[in-house]
Amino acid sequence: MRLRVPLLLAAAVVAALAVVAAGCGGGSEKEGAVGEGKKATSQVLRMAWGAEPPSLDPGLATDTTSSNVLLNIMDPLVRLGPDLQPVPALAESWDVDGKVVTFHLRDDGRWTNGDPVTANDFEYSWKRTLDPKLAADYAYQLYGIVGAEAYNNAKPAQAAALRDKVGVKALDDRTLQVTLTSAQPWFVQQAAHHSFLAVHEPTVERYGAKWTEPQNIVTDGPFKLADWKHDASITLVKNADWRNADRVALDRVEGRIIVDGTTRVQAFEAGEVDALDGGGLPPADMPRLKQLPEYEKYPALGTYYYGFNLKNVPDLNQRRAMAFAIDRQSIIDNVAQADQIPATGMVPKGMPGFETIEQNFLPPRADLTKAKEFMAKADDPKRTITLFYNDAPGHKEIAVAVQAMWNELGIDATIKAQEFAQYLEFLGPPPNDAVYVYRLGWIADYGDPMNFLELWTSKSGNNNSRFASPAYDRLIEKARNTANDEQRYEIYRQAEAMLTGPQGELPIAPIYWYTYTNLERESVMDSFQINPLDQFDLSKVVIKEA
Amino acid sequence: MSATQIAGRMAGVDAGAPIRQSSLWQDAWRRYVRNRGAVAAGGIFLLIVAWCIVAPLVSTHDPNHVDFANAYQGPSWSHPFGTDQFGRDLFTRAALGGRISIGIGFGATLAILGIGVVYGALSGFVGGKLDNGLMRFLDALYGLPYLPFAILALAIVGTVDFWTMVVALSIASWFITARVVRGQIITLKENDYVRAAKAVGVRWYAILGRHLLPNTLGVLVITIFLELPGVILGEAFLSFLGLGINPPDASWGSMAQDGRDAYRAHPHIIIIPSLAIATLVLCANFIADGLRDALDPRTKET
Amino acid sequence: MAAYIIRRLVWTVPVVLLVIFMTFMLMKQIEGNPFRQTERAVPAAVQMNLERKFSLDKPWYVQYANYVKGVATGDLGPSLVLRDRTVNDVVKEQFPRSIELGLLAFGWAVLLGVPAGVLAALKPNSRFDYGAMFFSNVGFALPNFLVATLLIYFVSVKWGLLPTSGWTTWEHKILPSFTLGLVPMAYFARLVRGTMLETLQQDYVRTAKAKGLRWRRIVTVHVLRNSLIPVVTAAAPLLGYIITGSFIVENIFAVPGIGRYYVTAVSARDYSVVMGLTVLLSIIVIAANLVVDILYTILDPRTREART
Repeated sequence: MRLRVPLLLAAAVVAALAVVAAGCGGGSEKEGAVGEGKKATSQVLRMAWGAEPPSLDPGLATDTTSSNVLLNIMDPLVRLGPDLQPVPALAESWDVDGKVVTFHLRDDGRWTNGDPVTANDFEYSWKRTLDPKLAADYAYQLYGIVGAEAYNNAKPAQAAALRDKVGVKALDDRTLQVTLTSAQPWFVQQAAHHSFLAVHEPTVERYGAKWTEPQNIVTDGPFKLADWKHDASITLVKNADWRNADRVALDRVEGRIIVDGTTRVQAFEAGEVDALDGGGLPPADMPRLKQLPEYEKYPALGTYYYGFNLKNVPDLNQRRAMAFAIDRQSIIDNVAQADQIPATGMVPKGMPGFETIEQNFLPPRADLTKAKEFMAKADDPKRTITLFYNDAPGHKEIAVAVQAMWNELGIDATIKAQEFAQYLEFLGPPPNDAVYVYRLGWIADYGDPMNFLELWTSKSGNNNSRFASPAYDRLIEKARNTANDEQRYEIYRQAEAMLTGPQGELPIAPIYWYTYTNLERESVMDSFQINPLDQFDLSKVVIKEA
Repeated sequence: MSATQIAGRMAGVDAGAPIRQSSLWQDAWRRYVRNRGAVAAGGIFLLIVAWCIVAPLVSTHDPNHVDFANAYQGPSWSHPFGTDQFGRDLFTRAALGGRISIGIGFGATLAILGIGVVYGALSGFVGGKLDNGLMRFLDALYGLPYLPFAILALAIVGTVDFWTMVVALSIASWFITARVVRGQIITLKENDYVRAAKAVGVRWYAILGRHLLPNTLGVLVITIFLELPGVILGEAFLSFLGLGINPPDASWGSMAQDGRDAYRAHPHIIIIPSLAIATLVLCANFIADGLRDALDPRTKET
Repeated sequence: MAAYIIRRLVWTVPVVLLVIFMTFMLMKQIEGNPFRQTERAVPAAVQMNLERKFSLDKPWYVQYANYVKGVATGDLGPSLVLRDRTVNDVVKEQFPRSIELGLLAFGWAVLLGVPAGVLAALKPNSRFDYGAMFFSNVGFALPNFLVATLLIYFVSVKWGLLPTSGWTTWEHKILPSFTLGLVPMAYFARLVRGTMLETLQQDYVRTAKAKGLRWRRIVTVHVLRNSLIPVVTAAAPLLGYIITGSFIVENIFAVPGIGRYYVTAVSARDYSVVMGLTVLLSIIVIAANLVVDILYTILDPRTREART
């Protein structure tokens, strides 16, 4: 007979159940958030985080783990609904008038020390993120606000003066007025990002860099940071004073930090955790994991692509040939193995507006005949090329597969792996001319195609292809100022066509659109959901009875 | 972590006496051959090396050919070691991986020897203040773990290939060898024939080259087989940490790392290269023991 | 002998400084932007602010001088990637766990390896001897990542006896320390067996036997003490192995120590953490060497002359 749960853990769960039973006189009959099934008496979620959060300061956090912890312990102005449109959170409503966005805050937002959450908190926090002294990595997320970039760029002497010129102002305790540089219709959506969270000024001022330690931190969200043992575990407890606390089912979230993918899976399979954080399952083990009933996959807003250096692969027909020779579906089925979606464009499926934007030029399966035709039409095709990628699980295998596919066209690709940080330096900016083809991925920051399409403007620091088209730049600029969604999506369609359409320049050959794969026990599977921006909302999770 | 460090410590005790060279080696050979374990190990070692060289040449499978339909096959007649996730024949790839692993092993070991001999000979031969200084330095750093510095070295060069791996593995691993060589040189230096040579006026480089270094050869050969396991395992560790050699080339270490994630469904992918490493390491240890016994009968065990 | 100790101590200072210098220079050679953790290019303003905040915009010799000053005062600087923490924080929180892992591994090695070696030596060429040496060879040769993976699979996942990973309760600590202790265990077994066999051959032992002293007393009083000296001296290179092995073991078993973070820090270009950890590890090794050398001098008078 197999012992699935280690003895001590079983004893702990039994003890917890006993305590809860004694205190509450039995479990409640309340249904779970989704579907039938009784709520379990013990609402303690054990999960595994895939990394140590480098920082729980909204101004300094850049990675997914920090973001997810933050969005569960803090209260953003808005959250994202199922269609990625903003839904009220701390802001109960907002008005958009051209370049001015006004948020109206609820009056029941509370910090864990009892102070009310006010618009001043947001003004302070956003300006703090832009403060050059803080050197926030994600300061650029706020550059859409008037005066933000100037302030962030300021020399110490001018900083104070420029701070007042930043276009975010608390008109009163419950009204936050934001003045933008251009219409940016997606701004409210963008405000769901963790870099727009408010922090508690007195705490930050008092503790300095240490304000995020569990004994110091003051938060305002559905959960409190009970404990953070660095590199080991993160423990959250329900914030009973939160404005919506009675709708939160979980009492505790015990998160272990496990960085190695296989170790995470082992912990799950040994019954030590009940959910992983969507950070990805080891590609090599995917065929087995996909068969498990606990396997779950979610669409993601991200594109995995190979970019061309237009200087080294100048012939459009060759690029078309190479793009057509890639068997996207085969790569997904045999290499990536996470049920990704073959990418036929830069903007991923699931992005609002995708139906309008979608181009149908690039094929999901390889079309070798067409590819060879294109190749034949190319004058002076480059037959020896280099393909660079960064050395992380999965990329190597895809490069090997694509190398073999391009061999069919008579192209000899030398693949070179580089360590990630060095790879990024190497790629540029400015683009590196030793590169013929490079691998990159882009994950969305917010739910508007602008996020993906603006990468290809000529001034973008993320444009490693040497793709420079004034017409394209103009389109993007126009889109920035088009408030109406339908009209904007039409402009995006034209932009995407310039990239991956039949007449497109093909600065990239997209390969697939990401998915988030996860393991979740059946007791939480229904309520534990990861949205396309890799966020999950623990306040909605309910543990069902086994 | 090997017995060379004992040798190093008891530098005065474990020196090979300066017997005339020809009969030393003949005697050693005879003693070596009497040790069954060492002979077996030597045989297996040579067999593995031979397999690594020959198997890819006669194999009908292209080690880099991607064939998804055949992925993850278990061992069979046509694929004695099975296939990996790309459908590539593991028998051939393991042999090629062996070329790289063993190659890196010897490469790094020779580099270690090179640095160690220069440092140790210099220190031992010159003696005096230089020796003092060099040895203080060595004493302090003795046992310094090579892994952090190997990681740093690889980060500097960025791309991991055969030669960068050799360099990375050797920069912080030569301390033991240096000490052993110095010990040898110092002991040998005191011998009468060396003093005689000096008195007669033979140049220092002749003394070094004709008398001292050749007599350290025995110790050096032993050191090769003592350092080899460490280096091969070191390369495996680095590959495991993600700093392995560039694909489609593979070493045993990077093959093991590839296979680890899939170990539950397809354990052969991690087990085979790991066993290969283990076998080679074991053989090297036995050979080293055998050599040590052969070259110095006084340390022979009952 | 006091002179010897003082001389050794004095020499450690320039060595430590040299190690710091070399690590610093090595770090400076590594390309890569510590502030670019994802594919997103860092806007110029942000990059500038970050460099100013971490003094990376100053010339290298200024940075080096500041760093040495910091080390001398015990301040290893802020982490470039873990924004809420300093290197001292990382060391304070995570280093003790690595030490614990290392000590436990060493404990396994002494607990299982030394008795195995002793018993094997007392019954040479017996089945126990061959068996012990076989296991010790296997333990030495099998790569620890394979052992770790297999142990976790069988002991944790399949049989549910121990946790798969983590470092909280004593059950968590068994597998990782055992895995790390395998090589030292094997090494000690062989070493102790070898030195004991040698000692047993010595004249004074045969004399004692001839004199009629009880065998047990001979073994424990004379033989053991002399055989264990090499164990002490083996400690230094074994420390090197334990540090090296911990990088792998901590990774696989999710032990939140510094070995696990080192690799992450290098790839994330967290210069200050890498520098801090490397310098720290080096100082530990240097200190360990010093202690071992002194111990050795105390324990074995024969080597005192050879040590000049």
